[in-house]
Amino acid sequence: MANAAEHDVELRGVTKRFGSFVAVRDMSLIVEKGQFVCLLGPSGCGKTTTLRLVAGLEQADGGEIRIAGARVDDTPPWRRDVAMMFQDFALFPHMTVARQVGFGLEMLRRPKEEIRRRVAETLAAFEIGDLADRKPDTLSGGQKQRVALARALITRPRVLLLDEPIGSLDFSLREAVMLELKDVQRRAGISFVWVTHDQNEAFSLGDQVVVMNHARIEQTGTPEEIFERPRTRFVATFIQGHNVLDGTAASAEDGHVTVVTAVGRFVVPVRNGAAPASGAPVSFSIRAELLEDDPGLDHPNRLAATCHAIEYLGSVRRWDLRLADGRSVKLERSGRTRCRLAEGEAVLIGWRVEDGVLHIPAADAA
Amino acid sequence: MSTLRERSPRAYALALPAALWMIGALVLPTVFIGWVSLWTTRTFSVGNPLGFANYAKFFQRPAYVKVLTDTVEQTVLLMVITAILGYAIAYFLAVKVERPTVQLAFFLVLVIPFWTSALIRTIAWIPFLGVTGVINKVLIALRVVDQPVEAFLFSRTGITLAQVSFYTLLAAGPVVYTLRNIPPSLREAAYTLRAAPLAVFRRIVLPLTLPGIVIGQILVFLNVMADFATAQAIGGHKLAYLGNLVILLYDTGQLPFASVIAVLLMAAMLAGVAVLLKVVDIRRLGIS
Repeated sequence: MANAAEHDVELRGVTKRFGSFVAVRDMSLIVEKGQFVCLLGPSGCGKTTTLRLVAGLEQADGGEIRIAGARVDDTPPWRRDVAMMFQDFALFPHMTVARQVGFGLEMLRRPKEEIRRRVAETLAAFEIGDLADRKPDTLSGGQKQRVALARALITRPRVLLLDEPIGSLDFSLREAVMLELKDVQRRAGISFVWVTHDQNEAFSLGDQVVVMNHARIEQTGTPEEIFERPRTRFVATFIQGHNVLDGTAASAEDGHVTVVTAVGRFVVPVRNGAAPASGAPVSFSIRAELLEDDPGLDHPNRLAATCHAIEYLGSVRRWDLRLADGRSVKLERSGRTRCRLAEGEAVLIGWRVEDGVLHIPAADAA
Repeated sequence: MSTLRERSPRAYALALPAALWMIGALVLPTVFIGWVSLWTTRTFSVGNPLGFANYAKFFQRPAYVKVLTDTVEQTVLLMVITAILGYAIAYFLAVKVERPTVQLAFFLVLVIPFWTSALIRTIAWIPFLGVTGVINKVLIALRVVDQPVEAFLFSRTGITLAQVSFYTLLAAGPVVYTLRNIPPSLREAAYTLRAAPLAVFRRIVLPLTLPGIVIGQILVFLNVMADFATAQAIGGHKLAYLGNLVILLYDTGQLPFASVIAVLLMAAMLAGVAVLLKVVDIRRLGIS
């Protein structure tokens, strides 16, 4: 466990209300030094509010926020060692790029000579030296994005907060910009807190991904942990590539629980914590690429389905199967897989017991 | 949608009615005033030579020149007061009042008095300003003064008070518009770039609202320069600005001289607007 002073950001039990609406509820989160943390969730889940609380643009109603170990609850945004990148970039329309990028240093009252030098260095580093005398309204989306990043990073803040920073860029640009931002973060050695609703962004960038829903954290972990072991039913449904089945817990024994659903009884491993009480409502999920379409007879988890549709997505081929109760289940394979299963055909599917992930509703409320 | 090419005969044809109206109602009378100001006798005769004798006479009379400087001085004073007061009102309305219904309520309170005619509004000040007026009664009741203050009515103070009440909204309106056009994220971005509120105002908000301030100031400038009614009703006949002088000379039949002052007033207004437009290009308003 690292020393608390080494955490770039720490939230302890932070709550924020807007009138009667709770935007962030009892949230605790640690951003370690130099870490890339992605806040992932649907719109309205509180991820942007969390970012604004760290920046000081919103005041928390409870809990405490620390930046570099020091409490900042009463520190106004202009005295916090963080910078922020806004979704619309928030460039000052009346300032040239050079003036804009030097603004933070000017506010810190650095000597003119130093500002001039560091602005030139920063513009060169972001390859926007030739834009120095341009005003924002003459820049393209990608250029604006670079200017906003240069402006935010020139003061060498401890943390950079990014609110959907590539959401307003063309799709064709996003991939390249993502990789570049990750590279910038590694080289600058500062921590990034990146808000997004896009799972691909969060997974390809984040050292840690924080999945949020309804003002709470659902799960915090590495992309692998979140993808392989979604902690709650919400995470399993929000993260693409999982099939979720709901039922009630029956007998539990030997680290496994039998779940009774509308389409059959299935054995699911109980990994951490106590097994659910008999009769309790539970869910479980199986990753789409771990479903087998020709299960061996030793699989206790088998059920009948019909092939409804086949989607070809290039690297992935996806079979949309329908269960007896009409529920949709997805099965995924590499795009090279020959499509043996035709639309309308009946099939028996199954999965290895250890590939099932149990979700107990109590864990959702924790 | 049919297209209408610029400079095509049809485009000119469509512009004709408006052009005729502008020429008849604005250009010709203006040219006429300029012409009359050059008459060298009181009445017109064809053989009468034209010349700048009337202009020379104006600038040779200190009393007239003083009216000119008084007018400019009063206008500048009004511009300073309405700029500050108008900006404060605009900032309050556009930034501090968050609920739209409250915003509307404040807006109506400010605007409803202007639904009455300018004359009524001017006269309405008299019961407030007089020796037995509302302001004096309040001051005496509060024991701020024990004698009624005579300086309110028939004085420059009174005129200024009334003019501030008439023209502050002209200064505030365009500022409200430009303030509302500033995305909140600009202020927030400045905060996260270490700018304290005063610096945010000075470096971000003020420059971005400058076009609004200038447009408001053009409106105030033109109105105060041309305002004769307030000086007449509230200033008694003790004070005169260029507008009052035009009326006085017109009433006494000195048409060429009245025209001289009208031309000078117009020239001063054009010069003032030109100076204000130098400060900021208002045609760019709303683009950024």
